[in-house]
Amino acid sequence: MLKRFFSRFRNLNPILLASMIGLGIIGVMFVYSACSIREDADLQLLYVRHAEVGLVGLVLYLLAAFVDYRPLMRLSVLFYSGCLVLLVLVPVIGEETMGARRWLFGIQPSEPAKLAIIMVLAWLFGRRDAGRGVSAFFLALLVAGVPGALILLQPDLGTAMVLVPTVLAMLFAANVALRLFWTCVLSGVAVVAVVLSVIYAAERVDMPQERRDALIRATCLRPHQVKRLEVFLFPDKDLHGSGYNRRQSVIAVGSGGVWGKGYLKGEQYMLGYLPPSISSNDFIFSVLAEEAGFAGSATVLLLFLGLLWPALWVAYRCRDDMGRLFCVGVVSLTFSHMFINIAMTIGIMPITGLPLPFISYGRTFLLTMMVALGLVQSVSIHGREPESKF
Amino acid sequence: MTLVFGAGVAFLAVSLYRVQVVAFSEFARDQVRQSVRRVQVPGPRGRIFDRNGVCLAENRPSYCIAYYVEELRKRGKWSQTIDAVDADVDRLAGVLGIPRQISKAAISNHVICSLPMPLLAWRDVEPVTLARWAEAAQDFPGVDVYVQPERFYPQGLLAAHVLGYVGRDRPAMRPGEKVHFYLPEMIGKSGLEKQYNARLTGVPGAQLIRVDARGYKHAVWEGTPEVPGRDLRLTLDVKVQRTLEKVLRGWRGAGVVVDPHSGEVLAMASSPAFDPNELVPAPTPGIWNRLNTDAALPLFNRAVQGRYAPGSIFKPVTAIAALLHEGFDPEETYTCDGVFALGTMRLRCWNTYGHGAVTLRKAIEQSCNAYFCHVGQTIGYPAIYEQAHKLGLGMATGIDLPYETRGLLPTEAWKLKVTKEPWRPGDTCHIAIGQGMLLTTPLQMAMLTSVFANGGTLYRPRVMRRDEPGERIREMGWPPDVLARVRQGMRDVAEVGTGRRVKVRGLAVAAKTGTAEFDAGGVRRKNTWVTAFAPFDYPTVALAILVENGASGGRTVAPMAHDVLVSIFGESAAEEDEPAPTTGAAETGSD
Repeated sequence: MLKRFFSRFRNLNPILLASMIGLGIIGVMFVYSACSIREDADLQLLYVRHAEVGLVGLVLYLLAAFVDYRPLMRLSVLFYSGCLVLLVLVPVIGEETMGARRWLFGIQPSEPAKLAIIMVLAWLFGRRDAGRGVSAFFLALLVAGVPGALILLQPDLGTAMVLVPTVLAMLFAANVALRLFWTCVLSGVAVVAVVLSVIYAAERVDMPQERRDALIRATCLRPHQVKRLEVFLFPDKDLHGSGYNRRQSVIAVGSGGVWGKGYLKGEQYMLGYLPPSISSNDFIFSVLAEEAGFAGSATVLLLFLGLLWPALWVAYRCRDDMGRLFCVGVVSLTFSHMFINIAMTIGIMPITGLPLPFISYGRTFLLTMMVALGLVQSVSIHGREPESKF
Repeated sequence: MTLVFGAGVAFLAVSLYRVQVVAFSEFARDQVRQSVRRVQVPGPRGRIFDRNGVCLAENRPSYCIAYYVEELRKRGKWSQTIDAVDADVDRLAGVLGIPRQISKAAISNHVICSLPMPLLAWRDVEPVTLARWAEAAQDFPGVDVYVQPERFYPQGLLAAHVLGYVGRDRPAMRPGEKVHFYLPEMIGKSGLEKQYNARLTGVPGAQLIRVDARGYKHAVWEGTPEVPGRDLRLTLDVKVQRTLEKVLRGWRGAGVVVDPHSGEVLAMASSPAFDPNELVPAPTPGIWNRLNTDAALPLFNRAVQGRYAPGSIFKPVTAIAALLHEGFDPEETYTCDGVFALGTMRLRCWNTYGHGAVTLRKAIEQSCNAYFCHVGQTIGYPAIYEQAHKLGLGMATGIDLPYETRGLLPTEAWKLKVTKEPWRPGDTCHIAIGQGMLLTTPLQMAMLTSVFANGGTLYRPRVMRRDEPGERIREMGWPPDVLARVRQGMRDVAEVGTGRRVKVRGLAVAAKTGTAEFDAGGVRRKNTWVTAFAPFDYPTVALAILVENGASGGRTVAPMAHDVLVSIFGESAAEEDEPAPTTGAAETGSD
C-alpha cells in the first residue's frame, strides 16, 4: 500500500507542483505588499487568509492528485448540477457588492462552475462512444452556455468571457464538428470586431446623440462595459474618470523598469493612485511589476510557462481522451486568465475583473484552481495506466 | 495548441518588455509628475520692533487656495490644460461660494511662465471658505491650501510713514520668459520697508513633496531650506511716537524727536497718516484713489519730504553767524519800532508796536525780525550761508529713509541761474529771519537743533538701531561762550519768550518758535514751527515740529512740543496753576 503510494508520488509532476507553489508564494508576498497600506486591520491580514486558503488548497490538491480522476469525471454531472443550483440561488439570496451579486455564503459559485464545465465537457467527449457531430457541438455549447448565461447575469462579463476560449480549446482538442467550430470562431471574432468598431465610430464620427445612443444600445452591452471598451479604444480620453485605473496601472508597470522599485516600495499603490480595492486582486500584477520590475514579471511568466507546459505534457502522455481534454481545459482556463489579466494591466486588453491565478487574492478562485491542477496531477499519475477496477 | 499558448506568453513578455524596459523613463516621469509637487516654503519677512521691543511690523498667515497645474495636465495642447483649470476654478468657486479671483489670462500666463509653481487662485480666504474647502478637497485633485505670510502692522497707523509698506513685486515679465525659481512675493514700497528691503526679505525655500492620490502630503523628497529675513530694531520709542502723532492729529504737519548725542530718531510723524494694512498686499482701487487724491497727501512723509521755510527757528543760525563775525557786539542794542526799512522795502516785525531797544539775547527771546534783519545786513549773507551750510541745510541729512529731500539753501549763483536776477540785500534780510528762498525739512531742523543742544556736533540721523555711537558728520568748532549765548536765548524763549507754552514743570527746556508766512496762490499762509531741546544742561532730546496753517508757533505748536516732552520726561506735580495768560501783544501774535 505504502509502496504503491510512493510509486504514485514518483509520478507526480514536480515542475507543475513547484511552479504552482512558486506562484502561490509570490501571491502571498504581493497580497501582503498590496494590503500593507490598508487602514483596516482585517484588510491588512488578507495575505494570511490567502496563505491559509493556499494551504487548504494544497491538501485538496494532493487529495485530488492521488484519487483517480476518471470516477470523478463520471460524477462531475453531480458537481455541475450543484454549481447550477448555487448559480441560480446567487441572484436570489446572494450578497450584493458594487452593483453585482456574485457571492453566496462567502464563495463565488462562478469559480467552481468553470471547473465543473471543464469536467463535464471532458467526461462528455472523453468517452469512446462520444459523438463528434453538430449535435455534440451544440450540447457542449449548452453545457457551457447555461452557467455562462447565469454568470453573465450577475453580471460578471470577465468570468463569462473566459469560458469562451476554454470551451473552444476543448472542442478543438476533442475534434468536434471542426467546420462548425471554425465558423463559430470566425463569427465570434467578427462580432467582437463589429462591436468595437461601432463604439469606435460612435465616439469618433460626428453623429447625433440619439443615433449614437441607439447604436450603442444595439451592442447589448451595459453602460459600464461600453465605458471600458471606450477606454480600451481611447486610453487618453477620460484619465480622471473611467480611464483612471488603466492609466495608473500602466504607469505602475512601466515605472517599475528592469529591476523594479524594490519589495514594499511600490509608489503607485502606496500613494493610492492604484486604488487599494483593486490592487490586491485584479491589479495585483501592477503591484508586482512595479516592485519587481521586468525581472519580476518575466519570472511570473516563466512560472506560468512552468504550469502550462507540463500540463500539456501530461495531456500528451495521457492514454484516454477524458484526461487529455480535462488538461487542455485547465490549461486554456489558466492561460486565458493569465493573458487577459496581464494584458489588461498594460492596457492592451479592455479592463475586466479577471484575477491572476494563484497570485490575486480571491479564495474561491484559488481553491478552484488548485483543485483543478490537482486533478491534472491525477491525470499525470493515473493517466498512463488503465483504470483500476475494484 | 502548444504553439498558441507559447505565442501568447511570448506576446505578453514582449509587451511587458516594451512597457517596462523600453518605455520605462516615460512612465517613471509620468509617475513623478503626478505624485511630486513642487512647493514653495515662504521665507518670512523680517519683523520690525521699536527700541523697546514693541512689534511694529510682523507677518500673519494668509491662506490661499492653490492649483498645482502640472497635476491637471491634459494631453495635447496646453490650451486644453488651461481650459480645464479654468473650468475647474469655476467649479471650485461654486463649491466654495466665493467669486473667482483669477482671470483666464492669468491662468494662461502662469502656465506659460511659471508652471512648476502653485497658481494662487484665491488669496487670503476666510476661515469659512477653508472649512468648505476641507469638505470638498477630495473632489479636486491638484488643488491645495497654500499658506503665505502676509505683512501685518499691528499698531495700525503708528509710524506708518517711517515703516512704509510692502506691495506685490512681480515685474512685468517679457512674454514667454519662464520663471522656475521663486521671486520674492513682497517688496518694500516706501519707508523702512523699502530702505531695508534686502535685509528684511527672506529667501523662500523649495521642497519636492510626494502627494498621494488624494493630495495628502506623503513625504518630503528634497528641498532647500528657507532663510527668514532679518528683524529690524528701530530707534523709535512707541510711547513718544504715539504722543507725537496724537498732538499732530487733525493738523497737517510733521514732527521729529531725536537724541542729540547720537542722531537716533525717537519719533517721527507726519500728519495725516495712512494705515499700511490697507495697502497690503495690494490696495483696492478705491483706497488707492482716496489716498492719492487727498489734498492732505496722507502718503507723503512731511518729516523728510516736505520743504518748508523755517521762519524764526532759523534765527539761532543767524545769531551764531553774527557772534562769530568780527566786530559784532551782542550787547549792543538795536531799536525795533515794528518795521525794518531797507531801501524801498519795508519789512514788518511781527510786533506792530516794535520791541524797543533789544540786545541779541532779547531779540532771540522775542524773535524780533527787525533786529535780525539788521544783523543780516551788518554781517552779510556769506557769513549766514557758511553756518547754515555747516549745519547741513540744503543737503540731505542722510537718514536711512527713502525719498529724502535736500531742501534749499540758496546761493547768489543759484539765484542768478534760476531767477535771472542778482542777489539783493532784501534776500539776505529774508534769509536772516528764515524766510525767502530758504527751504528746510522738519528733520533738518531737528538735527540743526541737536547741534545747539549737544554743543556743536552734527550727527547723521538714523532710524535703525545700531550698537555703535552716532555718526558724526561735522564738528562746528564754535567757541563755548558763543554757543552759550544762543542757548541762553533759546532758554529764555521757553521761560519767558514766545515759546513759554513749551515749558515743562521741573524741566529746563530751551526752545525756539517760528511762524513762516508765505504766499500760496494769493492767500497768506503760515507754517508754524517749534524747535526745542531738554534738559538744558545735558540735553537728551531735541525736537522740531511743524504745523501747516497754524495760528503761530507759540500758540499752536508750543503746546504740542510740551506734550511730547512730558511724554518723555514726565511733569512734576503742579504746585500752582500756570499764571493765566495775560492779554498782551506777546500773546496775540506771538512769534
